[in-house]
Amino acid sequence: MSDSSSHSAGSNLKMGLPIPNSKLGMWLFLGTEIMFFTAFIGSYIVLRMGSQGWPSDPHVTHISVIAGGINTFVLIVSSYCVVVAHDAMLKKHFKTALKYLWITTALGFLFMGIKSYEYYGKFTHGILPGKIAENDWQAAQQALAGFDDAVEDTGYSDMKLELAGLEKEVAGAEGGAKETMQARIDELKKSIAAIDPFANDVKQFKTYVKKEEWDFAELTQEVSTLKESYPEKASHIHEPHVILYGNIFASTYFLMTGFHAIHVIVGLILFGMVLKQGNKLDETWTDWVENSGLYWHFVDLVWIFLFPLLYIVDFA
Amino acid sequence: MAYRDTDHDDHSHGHVSYLVIFFALVIFTGISVIADVVHIPSTALKTVIVMSVAVAKATCVLLFFMHIKFEGNWKYILLAPTTILAIGLPIALMPDVATSYYISDVPQKYDYDEFMAVHGDHGEGHGEGEHSEAGHHGAEHGHDEGDHHEGDSDKHDGDIDHPEPNEDTSGADATESSEE
Repeated sequence: MSDSSSHSAGSNLKMGLPIPNSKLGMWLFLGTEIMFFTAFIGSYIVLRMGSQGWPSDPHVTHISVIAGGINTFVLIVSSYCVVVAHDAMLKKHFKTALKYLWITTALGFLFMGIKSYEYYGKFTHGILPGKIAENDWQAAQQALAGFDDAVEDTGYSDMKLELAGLEKEVAGAEGGAKETMQARIDELKKSIAAIDPFANDVKQFKTYVKKEEWDFAELTQEVSTLKESYPEKASHIHEPHVILYGNIFASTYFLMTGFHAIHVIVGLILFGMVLKQGNKLDETWTDWVENSGLYWHFVDLVWIFLFPLLYIVDFA
Repeated sequence: MAYRDTDHDDHSHGHVSYLVIFFALVIFTGISVIADVVHIPSTALKTVIVMSVAVAKATCVLLFFMHIKFEGNWKYILLAPTTILAIGLPIALMPDVATSYYISDVPQKYDYDEFMAVHGDHGEGHGEGEHSEAGHHGAEHGHDEGDHHEGDSDKHDGDIDHPEPNEDTSGADATESSEE
């Protein structure tokens, strides 16, 4: 090896691997990526196997095997389009390559769209790490916090503070100022009176929740009565429900799918750089297409494991 | 191999072969979805099926789409360490969390025992603790309002301060039922 420098210029000997440096770099990077995702997937498997239970009912977790299956299909089609695009690049059919890369990019966006739809379903049902009630007490606290926020949203306590301040000042004021103050006081009193029943009912609910003993069915009833009585203020509050092991489920789910989605976005940027070339696309981009293709296949590969592990498998 | 027949030069592996791989991947995905939709009674069997399918799909993508099949021997040097570590990591974590002889003492465990006592199969996992008593009330004296309330308030006590007597019996129950 050390005498490679003494070889003449015409030597056939070549240092390094018979692949472009960029490709070697990409494969080394993918090596680290394997470890990166293994850490998450491995911890998920171990945590799930170590848990006595796990939320697996699709009505509870809002996980749809059909949405996951369609997304798997979308990524497979996009992977196919990338290999065809790379093939076309090698044959210098740049128009064909562009066409397939456009399809790949569109499919990447479709994947993200379906993923967003799935995320949206979870957000609206409060399936978020640290936001899930795992016992009755937490469910009650959650409902209470929701109602408290609903009262706050009306500006109730701010108005009360302002009113108290004005009532102190108004005694010392004179003339026009006093009149304006009085008008504002009346206005505030009127607004506060309108919210009072709701605030009082929430207060009552709070006393109920703070009791030593309560019944979950009764609590649910209380919550729905409150919601029905004040639909414009409290309709968005969830009925109290308990999902055992829901937080660890949500944490692992969002960690894995979230990092996967970030990878999809990066892949879309890589393809976007090629698409930006338009008709100027030439063979200097062949390695780029191959490397971003390798990256894209890897993203597909990760999803191939995430799909059964998150959407299908039921560890006994 | 049929795939090699269409292999005319170093790089081009032919669209037909890519199409074959593509259709194989689609069919594999279909098998996974079907395995979930038709209710396979054994969860272990379902897991084996869908994970084998995933491995088969991953192999297809690696070998053909990522051209690993046609690369030089550098692929072994580059991928062996990371693959070994990737397989080793979950195995190394396993004894810590997943294979202990006891059930991890997390608050959810108590609620889970209760949940199973009330909603689960009444034939399994009943010890002599408070929980199985609640299940008993539910099953046999469910019509009696008073009994119901008693059972329920027991539950809430359990939620908040987890009385000690449950620990031993419910832990043993859980091990029993998870073995089944």
